[in-house]
Formats: sequence, structure tokens, C-alpha cells
Amino acid sequence: MVEISNIEKFYKTDDIQTLALNKFSMKVKEGEFVAIMGPSGCGKTTLLNIIGLVDNADAGSYLLNGKEVSHLNERKRSKFRKQNIGFVFQSFNLIDNRTVFENVELPLIYNNVKQSERKEKVESLLKKMQIMHRRNHFPQQLSGGQQQRVAIARAVVNNPKIILADEPTGNLDSTNGNEVMDLLSDLNDNGTTIIMVTHSEHDAKYSHRIIRMLDGQKVSENMLKI
Amino acid sequence: MFTNFLKIAWRNLINNKLFSVINIIGIMVGFSFSLLIGLIIYYESTFEYFHKDKDLIYRVVSETKSPTETFFYSGATLALKDAIINNSNFEQVGSIFMSQPNNVTVKKTEKTFNTPKYVVFAEQDYFKIFNYTFLAGNAINPLENESHVVLTEKSAKRYFPDLALNEIIGETLTYDSLEVTITGIVEDLPKRTDLVFQEFISWPTILKSRNRKLVEEKNWNLTTSDFQLFVKLTPNADLEDIQKLFDRLTRENRNNLVIENSITNSIRLQPLLDMHFNELYQIHNWQDKRANKSLLKNFGLIALFLLLLGCANFINLTTAQATQRAKEIGILKILGCSKQQLITQFMAETFLLVLVSAVISVALMDTLLIVFADFVPEGLTIDFLFHPEILICIFILIVCITLLSGFYPAFVLSKYKPVKILKNNFLVGNKKAIPRKILTVIQFGIAQVFIIGALLVNSQINFMLTKDMGFNKETTVSVYQPLIARNLNNLKSLASKIKEVEAVETLTMCFNPPASNNVFFSDFTRKTDSADITKQMRFLFGDINYLNAFDIDLIAGRERKHDTVKEVVINETALKTLGFNKPEDAINEKVILYPDTIKIVGVMKDFHQNSLHNPIEPLVLRGDWYNAKFSQFQMISMKVKPLSGGRISEVINEIENRYKEVYPNTEMKLEFMNETVKDFYGREQKISKLLKWASGLSILISCLGLLGLVIYTTNMRVKEIGIRKVVGASVLEIYMLLCKEFIILVGIAFIVASPIAYYLVNQWLNLFTYKVSLSISNFLIGGLIMILFSFVVMSITTLKRANSNPVNSLNFD
Repeated sequence: MVEISNIEKFYKTDDIQTLALNKFSMKVKEGEFVAIMGPSGCGKTTLLNIIGLVDNADAGSYLLNGKEVSHLNERKRSKFRKQNIGFVFQSFNLIDNRTVFENVELPLIYNNVKQSERKEKVESLLKKMQIMHRRNHFPQQLSGGQQQRVAIARAVVNNPKIILADEPTGNLDSTNGNEVMDLLSDLNDNGTTIIMVTHSEHDAKYSHRIIRMLDGQKVSENMLKI
Repeated sequence: MFTNFLKIAWRNLINNKLFSVINIIGIMVGFSFSLLIGLIIYYESTFEYFHKDKDLIYRVVSETKSPTETFFYSGATLALKDAIINNSNFEQVGSIFMSQPNNVTVKKTEKTFNTPKYVVFAEQDYFKIFNYTFLAGNAINPLENESHVVLTEKSAKRYFPDLALNEIIGETLTYDSLEVTITGIVEDLPKRTDLVFQEFISWPTILKSRNRKLVEEKNWNLTTSDFQLFVKLTPNADLEDIQKLFDRLTRENRNNLVIENSITNSIRLQPLLDMHFNELYQIHNWQDKRANKSLLKNFGLIALFLLLLGCANFINLTTAQATQRAKEIGILKILGCSKQQLITQFMAETFLLVLVSAVISVALMDTLLIVFADFVPEGLTIDFLFHPEILICIFILIVCITLLSGFYPAFVLSKYKPVKILKNNFLVGNKKAIPRKILTVIQFGIAQVFIIGALLVNSQINFMLTKDMGFNKETTVSVYQPLIARNLNNLKSLASKIKEVEAVETLTMCFNPPASNNVFFSDFTRKTDSADITKQMRFLFGDINYLNAFDIDLIAGRERKHDTVKEVVINETALKTLGFNKPEDAINEKVILYPDTIKIVGVMKDFHQNSLHNPIEPLVLRGDWYNAKFSQFQMISMKVKPLSGGRISEVINEIENRYKEVYPNTEMKLEFMNETVKDFYGREQKISKLLKWASGLSILISCLGLLGLVIYTTNMRVKEIGIRKVVGASVLEIYMLLCKEFIILVGIAFIVASPIAYYLVNQWLNLFTYKVSLSISNFLIGGLIMILFSFVVMSITTLKRANSNPVNSLNFD
């Protein structure tokens, strides 16, 4: 499903050029749950941004569902992104001036789903996530765990093929963290491909495979489950 | 989708209360001004629109061009009508002649009404040109015979409040001595008209009035604005043909005087719809306010600038807040929101804000109509706001302001790359602040131009009002003789009675005070050995006390000996114009004032005969030489002792009591000379008032914008402030750190605005012959005012932050 070969990414400031990804390659099959680990600044999030079509690589190839997407312009990337990818962030990234319902509804709006259908889908998902009673609350009125559940609901509402999670439990206590990991695990069991960046060995154990990175390169790859 | 956008926009508006209020005030001020000027323009430009054949109706106007001046008359020669009535281009030709009766008496009740307004002699065809609706009486030929009158409903009700309209027909009114029977009552025309006449006396009756000679004579070379000719053209009329006819008629009928003095008379057609706006030609309700294009233009420009200031505030504050919106933009983009959708979202927010401003403006309009009453035409009421044309304009204005203020921020915000936002790599760097800095400079620049402009215009007005006119304007008062009772014996009788008033020091009988809008010209010839010097002079008619009453100094010779002795006093400019070297040289010189040869007996100091727009003209003071036939004296001017407030009204009462003894049935018309001089500058005073408003409001908008920017940047630098304080920065240093950037911008604005203000004010001052010199202090005061306001605004926020405990700042981060 995701096939990355020899990806490179540079960051330039006035007098320094930093190599964030150095000829990085990886493959993720449909239905897989992959965890990416490594110290801060090793390029994990950069990799996730490139996989999520939020950023472009400077060199290398990226095939998504067999289609080369590394050089698409922003308009086409946006279209690919909204149809295929869901995001979960460490800091939840909910929009403060929208209610729980409206936050979850957003991807459906951008995919031109009819209002009645949107209502049905969002409400059923909120029930499933056990946050239906909070549907009219604003993000700042929720606990961290509830916010992340809303973020996950928003990521999956459009039935994306891949969910990209960037340290999804980083801002949560262990109880809420476990709940979130269980949710992601359930989604994976139902066929959603998940690529997760994490510092937590505990969370990584939920995945099928752990890729470890250092200085923009892959240093190891461990299979946990088949 | 759009409803959803509006819902989110409303939440943003509520969540950012301070910035929303700043933006709303900024836009609301500009919007209100624009709406007000829009209402005034709509009102003024739709005069006469209700007439059925408005595009076919014209007024005949005239122009007289002499080698030195051009005069415009809203009337025509009385001879014209007979010459054009059978021309096939004209469907109808109808005349009116202004009548100014002193009073009107209702025979039935014996009740007298003084100085009825808008009384005219009118021809039958006048009612065929303009579609009046007859409510009672004879609608076919009510004005055909002499001694008939048609009233409007309003007039009829004033004279006969207790009678039904039908009962009024046949009643008798007496205008001064003209007795007329009411033959018809017409509906009043709607308000937006300059055809304000209310009482139409039948045309044949004019032969019984004092204007008989004028009407019978039908002089081709005499034009008066009192006689007005309206025509309705046939639908296929040829305007060029008509103009050729007019040109031929004026050419063929020139008399010798016109040819010898190289005078060109011309007659033109003025479209009915042009009547209200064209200031060259008078309208009938000369006492009322009239549309003034240049004032409306100034008003419009100020509205536009205030609108731009409000838009600039919005752009500045929205782009400055970009970092706060960045997270939202990033997430929306990642979720698949397109650039167009983001732009629509931001435009919806702008639209909502502008809409709120517009609603407040509309709500305030009633108050604004009162506050700006000096600029607002009398009939313009709040009801006009709901005319469909105005509602459409309001909507267009809302859309335009939304686009103007919303598009740039929407474009900038929607351009952000989500990856940078997610990496927290999103900062508004110095480079990105450049458009904001430019806008701030423009904003303060506009405010600065208004402030400097207001200061300089004010100083010119003060200069004009306080400048020594060359005569005593402070303690002189004039009383007019009623037109109908114009008689030298009456005037003399009044003069002798007024002399008894203790506060009156000295008085004079005259035609005009030294400065007025009335002008009387004639040629004046000095015969010298080499050649004749003929010059056009202005004339003042006054008795031998004239110079004394107005404290005008003689610099050579003496005052005239008697009102009827053919001696004159000339002013210094006339002295030069006639080629005399010294004042003494002119004394006892003979000059020709056709048909008389007269003697110059004195030279008086120059004084201003009109506003300071105009230069001092050559002037001759003469007496009332032909008073046995017709007296030129029409008023009494008097010098009174300096009086305190309460005493002034007592003296006026004393004068009025004596006036009533001589003219029992008329109201006294009294003019204070200093008020007359003040009235010369009515337009300038309006401009000054407008500029003061513009300055105040532009300071308000700019400072609110500045406040927003300062609050924002101070909040952004909280951590920096904390660290600087921890490492030893003083409160003053922090304060200066936060203010420096903005003070520099205000300083740049001052440097940019000063030459612009200088240029604009200089252009305006060129309209005046006598003007104040542009002092640098006005510019500096303008700059200081702006800097002072800026400091106050900045201090509100920055001092609080600079004084705060550093730990709060660091914790905040």
C-alpha cells in the first residue's frame, strides 16, 4: 500500500542544511500496523508528513496504492489526502471554535458528503467512541482522553485507507493512553492500515512491526506479530 | 455550507471580542459616512424625477459676458417668449415672474399674513408643462383672466383653515394692493422639487403691478432672474436648431450699449434635471440649502478615506492574528479543505463583521442626520434609507467592503503550508510584517493629513474672520426698508426715529454696507491730456455719514457735501486704476459718469468689499443724486455702542418698536455686519467642520488599530519581556522596546503626510486672494497630536506588561 524508496528530505536555514531523511525506504502492506520509533529529531514526524502527503520529499519515490505521489502539487495531494488518509496528532489538533460534532464532521464536508448522511455517520461514530453526550461541547470543555477520542473519530469518519498517528498518547495519562491504543487496535483489526510514530515501547507493542530510526535512516526493523 | 461558514464566523467574532469591536468600529465609521453621503447624493440627484415629461422640460437661462466678467441668470429676457412660441420644437412655453409681496390679506377673515413666500405671476401654460393635480376649481383655464389666483393645498389651508377646498374657490386675497379671486387649488408637488411656488397669480394681473413697465417693454437686452421661462419640447425637437435660433435672436436684437461694451449675451436651455445641481444658475428656493457638488465631493472623499482606514485596520489585525489562526488553517488543510474553501470561510467572517457594522450604521443614521444637519438637505429623513435603490446600494457597499478588507487576509491565510504549521515552524517574521507596516503608515498618514488640514483650514478661517476688513464690522447693524414701501421719506422718518435710540452712535442711509454680495458696476472715465482712461468701477450709494458710520478713513480730500451733489469719494485702488500717482492728485479732478460730469472730492482707504476670496476692486462712493425720481437708499446702517449680551436684545427691541411705527405691517429685517462677513465663509466653515470630524474619526480608527496591534505584539513578546526583565531591563526600557517600532511608523507617516497636506492645503488656499501663510508650527502641532495619541494608546497596554512580574510572563509561556 505504501512503498517508499530512497526518500531524502533537507531543511535549509541561512547557512546550515540539515538532512532529515537520508535515502529512507520502507513498505507497508494493507491492513498492517507499523510503529516508527527513534529519538527526537531523527526524522519520524518528517517521514509521517511525507507519507501523509502533507509534505514533499526532495528526492526518492513514494508509491501510494501503486501510484507515484511524491511530486504531486498541493491541490492533487489535498484530494488524495482527504480520500485516503486520516490523521491523529499528539496534541489532538481539534479546532477550538467548533463543537465535537463539527470537528468530526469536517472531513465529510470536504468530501462533499450530504448533510443527512454526515449527521448519521458522525452520530454513529460518536456513539461508538462513547462521546455522543459531548457532541455539542467545544474541545476545551473535554478531558485529554476525550479530545483524543474525538480526534480519532475525525480521522476515521471518512473510512480512510491509512491512519497516520503521531504520538497519539503523548499528552495522555496511562489509562487514557491505553484506551486510545485499544481504539487504534480495533480499527486495525477492522482492516485500517495504521502507521504510528511513538516514543513509547508500550504503545509500539500494539503494532505488527517496529521500525527504528536514527539520523534520518532506518537502523532496524522488528516483526512483532504476523 | 455558507450557513456553516457564517456560524463559525459568528463564533470567531464573539471569541475575539476586543479585535471584533475594534474592527467593527473602524468599518462602521466609514460605512456610516458613506451611507450618509449616499443618502444625500440620492436625495439631491433625484430632484424633479417625479415629473412625467422630465426629459422634455427645460428652463431657459442666460449668460452675459463682458470683457472682465461673466454673469449667469436663471431667467431670460421677457422678449423671448413671443419669438419662440410658434417654433415647432416647442410643445409648450410657460412663464413665471417672481413676485415678492409684502403681505397678503384674506378678505373674508381680514387676517393679514406677512411676506408670503413663493408667490409668482404664472401663465396658463405653466400648468400644462408641469403636471399639477387640480383638487378644486377650474382646471382648464384658471389663470387666463386678470386678478385670478391658484393656490397649492398647503397655502389654501394656511389662509382658510376652516373651509373645505371647494368652499375656498371664489374667495378673495389681496397681495399688497392687488385683489385677486381664487380660481383653483392644486395638490402640492412632492418634496424633492425646486418648483416651490405656492401661489400663482394670473399672468394678466402683472400689468397691474409695479412690474408692468418691464413686461410691456420686452427689452431684448435686459435679463432678470425674476422672469423664468419653462419649455416643454416636442419628442423630436432638435436642440441644435433651438440653440441656433437663440443665437440668431440675441445677435439680431443687440443694442448699441451691448455692442459698444463688447458684451455677449447668450441664451441656453437648461434641462430640468440639471436645475438642482448646477450652481451657475439660481434655483427658486434660494433661501434653502442647495446641493453643493464640491462639498459633496469632499464629503465623499472623507467617507472613502475613513472606509479605507477601517479596512486597513481589519487587514492589519487579521494578518497580525494569523499565528493564532495558523493551527486551525493547518488542520483544515490536512483534512482536505481547499484554498477556495478557506478563502470562502475567511470572506464569510469578513462579511459577517461588515454586516454587523452596517446594521449599527443603519441604526445610527437617524442620529447622524441630526449631527450633520449642516450638510443634510432639509427634506432628507430616515425614511429614505428604506428606498429600494438605497437598500441595493447598502448591499453593494457591504459586498465591496467585504472584498476590500477580506480578500488580502483571506489570500494570505489560505496560503500557509500545513507542514510548517504542524512543525510549529510558523512565525510572522519581519519580512511578512512589511505590508502591515506599510498599511499602518498609510493609516496614520491619512489621519495626519486630516489633522494638519483641519488645523490649517481653521487658521485660514480665523484669519478671514479676524482680518481687519478696513471698516468697522463689529458694532454696525443694518435695517432694511421693506421693498413694497421703498420710499425715501419713510426711510428718513425711520432714520430720525432710530437716532433717538441711546445706544446708536451714528447712522447712515445707503444701498449697501461696505461689504456685501450686491454689486453695482458702471464705467468711469478720466479725461487726461494724452488720452481718456475708462475703467469699470464698483459703486456704493451712501449718504454723507457713510464713512463715519463704518469708520472708513479718508486719506485725502473731504467727505461729500450733500447726498444730491454730484461729488464722489474713490478708494485707493480706483486711484491707481485711474492713473493718479498721489491721493492729493485726484482731489477736485473731473470725471465722467455718463451722462454726468462729476468731481472727485476725497480718497478713502481701501477696504474689503467682499470675502477674502476676492481682491479689492476700484470703488466709488456716491450719493443719491436722483432721489427726486427714485432713491437708491434702501437701508439704514448704524454704529452702536459696544453692548453686553442682554443689552443687545433691548436695543434691537427699541429699534424694532420704531421700525413698526413707520412700517406697521412688516417684519423688520436686521443684519449684523459681522454676521454678514461670517456668512461669506459658510462653505469654508462647513469644510472646517467636516475636517474636524474627519480628523477625530481617523484618529479614533487609527488609534484603535494601533491598540490592537500593540496588544497583539505585546502578547507575542511576553516571554521576551520576561527574560529581558530577569536579566535586568527597566520598566522604561521595556516600554520603549515595545513602543519604538510603532513610534517610528507614526514618525514615517508624519514625514509622508506633511508634504501631501502642504500640497492639498496650498491648492485650497489658492482660492483666496488673501490667505494665511503656511506656518511650520501647524505641521508640528499636527504631528505632535498624532504622536501624543499614539503614546497614550500604547501606554494602555505596554506599561501594564512592562510593570508585570517577570515570573508571570515566563509562566505564561
